[in-house]
Amino acid sequence: MTTFSNVKQCLSTIKGIEAQLSTLALQSQDHNAQNAFHESMLIMGEVKNDLQNRSREMKLEEPQYKNS
Amino acid sequence: MPDVAEIVIRSLIFIAVLIIMTKILGKKQISEISFFEYVSGITIGSIAAEVIMGLNRNVGHGVLAITLFAVITLLVDFISLKSKKFRDAVEGKGTIIIKDGKIMEDNLKKEMYSLDEIQSLLRKKDIFNVADVEFAMLEPSGDISALLKKESRPLTPKDLQLKTANEKVPQTIIMDGEIINDAMTASGKDRRWLSTELEKLGVTLENVFLGQVDSYGDLTVDIYDDQINIPSPQQRPLLKAMIKKCQADLEVFALSTESTSAKEMYKKNADKMKEVLKNLEPYLNG
Repeated sequence: MTTFSNVKQCLSTIKGIEAQLSTLALQSQDHNAQNAFHESMLIMGEVKNDLQNRSREMKLEEPQYKNS
Repeated sequence: MPDVAEIVIRSLIFIAVLIIMTKILGKKQISEISFFEYVSGITIGSIAAEVIMGLNRNVGHGVLAITLFAVITLLVDFISLKSKKFRDAVEGKGTIIIKDGKIMEDNLKKEMYSLDEIQSLLRKKDIFNVADVEFAMLEPSGDISALLKKESRPLTPKDLQLKTANEKVPQTIIMDGEIINDAMTASGKDRRWLSTELEKLGVTLENVFLGQVDSYGDLTVDIYDDQINIPSPQQRPLLKAMIKKCQADLEVFALSTESTSAKEMYKKNADKMKEVLKNLEPYLNG
């Protein structure tokens, strides 16, 4: 496994976490829980953006990953 | 033979009267919190028994007496609600038996309770050592209520300064294979959600004996066939594991990359993940 594919994998896991947090925020009955899930979801979005940028950078630096 | 018929008729009449009376008097009578309620409950029962069996007695008199007792009990309850003094007089006040860890001998004598009786009452509360008790009160109902010293009290999350999630009451949305609509609305779910959840578990609605939704929207079901094992909801523990894994991944990336800006970015995000994990910990456990 190359670092690039690892980063890609991590990125998709984070996307999954974000989506699950979003459903939990909607399904929870308790207000505090809703807030906690929602805030965490937003932070996950930030992490996701950073990782996306990084994977784009890596693609530029190492042209052999262009197609992945 | 007419005697038997009369007893049947009287029994039926008094069962009806008693059911109506108990409905009117409500739950308070059952808990028998005060001596007065206890006695009036017994008396109502005795009057009914007496009139049913004593065939020379008038049924109307019996009903009148029961009604009178019920009305007066209700009246007493009502006045008790309004006046504290009346309440203390009729229902009695609790007596302090142990205060600041010391037994109040005078109060014990006044209530005519022996030490053995007090100890037996405390033992019923799983208290064997009187030295553990900070404060104890003999309630009007004859029970004892005891406050343990702080160090002997059961440990709570508050003592450990743990953050815990507040959980709402689980709603029972399926009973005997039928959807309970009130609970459904209370939990904020609809039938479409239910059918997808049931499909995920691989059961049909008719096979579900009991279905409950907890405050996170997880559905747990009990089905008629006890041979089949239904998986319990795993979503939240799984999510916790995923967040942990991502956090560890980010830390590995931070160590392995050579670019300083990327290193910093990974580190910052790993910290963010850690923060998220800390905030969600109470909500993601089991």
